[in-house]
Amino acid sequence: MHIPDGYLSPSTCVTLFAGAAPFWYTSLRKLKRALNTRMIPLISVFAALSFIIMMFNLPLPGGTTGHAMGIGIAAIVLGPWASILAITMAIVIQAVFFGDGGITAIGANCFNMAVAGSLAAYAIYRLTAGNAPLDSRRRVFAAGLAGYGAINISALLAAIEFGLQPMLFHDAAGAPLYAPYPLRITIPAMMIGHLTVAGLAEMVVAAGVVAWLQKSEPQLLRATAPGAPNERNGAAPDGWKSTRPLWAALAILLVLTPFGILAAGSAWGEWLPQDFSNAQARSAIAAVSGSEQPPAQAPEGLNRLATFWTAPMPGYAPAFLRNEKLGYMLSAMAGTGLIILLGLGAGQLAKGQRE
Amino acid sequence: MKPVFELNEVHYRYDQVAAVDGVSLQIETGTRVALLGANGSGKSTLLRMLDALYFPDSGTIQFQGEALTADRFEDDALAFSFRRRVGLVFQNPDVQLFNPTVFDEVAFAPLQMGWKKDEVLARVDLALRQMEIVELRNRPPHRLSGGEKKRVALASVLVLDPEVLLLDEPTAALDPRSQSQVIDLLIGWAGTGKTVITATHDLSVVEDTSDYCYVLNRGKVVSHGTPGLVLSNTQLLAQANLIHGHRHVHPGGVAHSHPHVHPHNHD
Amino acid sequence: MKAGFIERSLRKLAFESDYASGAERIGAGKGLLQGVDPRVKVAGLFGLVMVAAASRQLPVIAVLFGAAFILALVSRIPVGRLAVWIWTPVLFFTGTVALPALFITPGRMVAALGPVSISAEGLHSAIMLLSRAETAATLSGLLVLTTPWPAVLRALRTFHLPVVFVVILGMTYRYIFVILQSAFEMMESRRSRSVGPLARAERRRIAASSVGVLLSKSLQLSGDVHLAMQSRGFRGEVRLLEDFHAKASDWVWLGGFAALAAAVVWWQR
Repeated sequence: MHIPDGYLSPSTCVTLFAGAAPFWYTSLRKLKRALNTRMIPLISVFAALSFIIMMFNLPLPGGTTGHAMGIGIAAIVLGPWASILAITMAIVIQAVFFGDGGITAIGANCFNMAVAGSLAAYAIYRLTAGNAPLDSRRRVFAAGLAGYGAINISALLAAIEFGLQPMLFHDAAGAPLYAPYPLRITIPAMMIGHLTVAGLAEMVVAAGVVAWLQKSEPQLLRATAPGAPNERNGAAPDGWKSTRPLWAALAILLVLTPFGILAAGSAWGEWLPQDFSNAQARSAIAAVSGSEQPPAQAPEGLNRLATFWTAPMPGYAPAFLRNEKLGYMLSAMAGTGLIILLGLGAGQLAKGQRE
Repeated sequence: MKPVFELNEVHYRYDQVAAVDGVSLQIETGTRVALLGANGSGKSTLLRMLDALYFPDSGTIQFQGEALTADRFEDDALAFSFRRRVGLVFQNPDVQLFNPTVFDEVAFAPLQMGWKKDEVLARVDLALRQMEIVELRNRPPHRLSGGEKKRVALASVLVLDPEVLLLDEPTAALDPRSQSQVIDLLIGWAGTGKTVITATHDLSVVEDTSDYCYVLNRGKVVSHGTPGLVLSNTQLLAQANLIHGHRHVHPGGVAHSHPHVHPHNHD
Repeated sequence: MKAGFIERSLRKLAFESDYASGAERIGAGKGLLQGVDPRVKVAGLFGLVMVAAASRQLPVIAVLFGAAFILALVSRIPVGRLAVWIWTPVLFFTGTVALPALFITPGRMVAALGPVSISAEGLHSAIMLLSRAETAATLSGLLVLTTPWPAVLRALRTFHLPVVFVVILGMTYRYIFVILQSAFEMMESRRSRSVGPLARAERRRIAASSVGVLLSKSLQLSGDVHLAMQSRGFRGEVRLLEDFHAKASDWVWLGGFAALAAAVVWWQR
């Protein structure tokens, strides 16, 4: 997950650094008052803790082992903004001191894990936990889901960043200069690993630690649970009695999603539309698609997708805005956004039904 | 002359538990005072209140005749002048040492005070020599032994040359050599005009290192007086969990028990 | 499955701790780069890492790797340590990533291995990826292996990284070792108490509660550190002492780094 140096083109690195910068700025602003006093040691110690958690080799259901980042736990205990800073610090120290993850990729890694990961974990946790009491099982489930979701969104972003490289950056002969695989490969490759092992590790840590905190230090869960009742008053209105069926449903989804992704992945080939009418490119596609001849015309959908973004641009827009590559990139980004929105929407819906 | 500290019916609670429960006492300038108590007796909390890190829930603490309140510490000038004159050495050196190197650690307080660079360098140099840790100057704290850490922690506070020193368990978890170094330091402060307040459960050092003792139990002062007087009341010390009965069997099968001055080990 | 998760976690903790103490030892040694102003090293080596990460031609990467290797030798960094700490982990990670590219990148076929074939483009991009990653990792390794971390932090400060970032980075590094120690002790005591194999669910529960215990210790620690900072005059703004003296030789080094980076960029124009 920690992207090393040389996998991403310099322009990708700069773009993602620029993408993370406003979040760092906002985090610092948001914490400005608190930062004056309590937050400096708190963020430092949490960043150090996240570093140590990454060293832990966790036994996972199903016989594998994996490593967690602690993003879910950071977001739940510290809130999203302090979590962004804490995970950022852990990533910077890993890159600069321990050589895990690239120095030029610090912006990308922070964008994927610190920023997107923290915000996603926080959103999922708050939406799923609702106003449940601090000691309810629902919070344990919400934490597990938050850790799982956060790590997978980070992985998806990394997969997209990798997958865009061969399309955007190759030499005259067509050989990729940076990460060599297209989206069709990077997405299933990254996601299968994360949906199963890495995501599970994050889920185990987040859910396990929240369960432990409920028993030992429930006040640490207070900061991100504004709606939770103060004292336990008999029947907990918002706490679920049993989360067992939910865990089971999640497990089934876990098992099935890799297949879904593989199936979807082959439909996600990202050859440019004009490649389909170019004989050389067609044979290249055929070579990697198990000799199955591609259609002579780009699939209608792909064409439309590519022009969707360039079409609204007026004729006098700069040339790069009318570029198909950009169109494709924007489509990919919109796709990611859509997935995140769907996830959040589902959470909101589930919350609405219960109330 | 006004007392350094004057406490009147001071209360402080963590959550629902009273840590300091109605303490009133006076500490005179230039004396060495020991706060004796077992773990959880409230002595560390009291020390932190004397350093204006916690403020009383009720009651008052006066420092040289002026009340210590959260409101007054909003003022930078007042806060800096107090921090300059009163220094606290924490029990756990990992808490006290948060900087990347020994030099940065000792220079932290003078830099916060806004001193000039030359003065900072000179004072740091002096403090390092005083504690005999010049050769540790550029070491990171995680490469120091327990005794070295304690000396760096002391240097980081002594660098300001404070009038009042607050020490939390200064001899705890130290090897015998470092322990005797710290005790020598405490003995050396007698008659220098410095007020030294030591929180400890180590009764063996009290006699040499203090002029006056307060015994704390469950947040209350249960006894006070000169070290000789306080240490002779074994019944009271046992009640405060500072000593306990010691039972053993001698060769020949004679079993007996007797009160035994025995330092408790806490983490 | 014989080595349990405790043993493997302990090994990983030991590896990082070994790297850190090795870096401190080599950084305090007498080598050529150790004597260079940290600001020059941060600027020069980070600059070269960026140039390496952006390079598009194999000969350029080879030159940069050669430069990094020579710098490591003159700085008395043992080659064996470089191999263990940097080259092997990168080879494992990037090698695994790059391997399939040999076979699945479309292009001119150069060799056939039974049913699969290696394309020239695939070979090229796999080599590019691997050599670039190794070169960048070696260059950035040179910085921490020849410069104590506090000096790196002070150097970052002169590049206008906000003070609060520098302070947090320093404190994070400091507390990594404190928490590492707690984690070590906790794992060791767990290991000594557990006899025989544990059920997976039990091991998972232990792992989660270990993280929980560390978490609560860490929060307690951060609260106390905050008090210790206040006690010594911390009012929200940390002041740092900036004390660098660039020697004439430091300017020569800076010129050397800049010239190499410029030459490489110009070559790839």
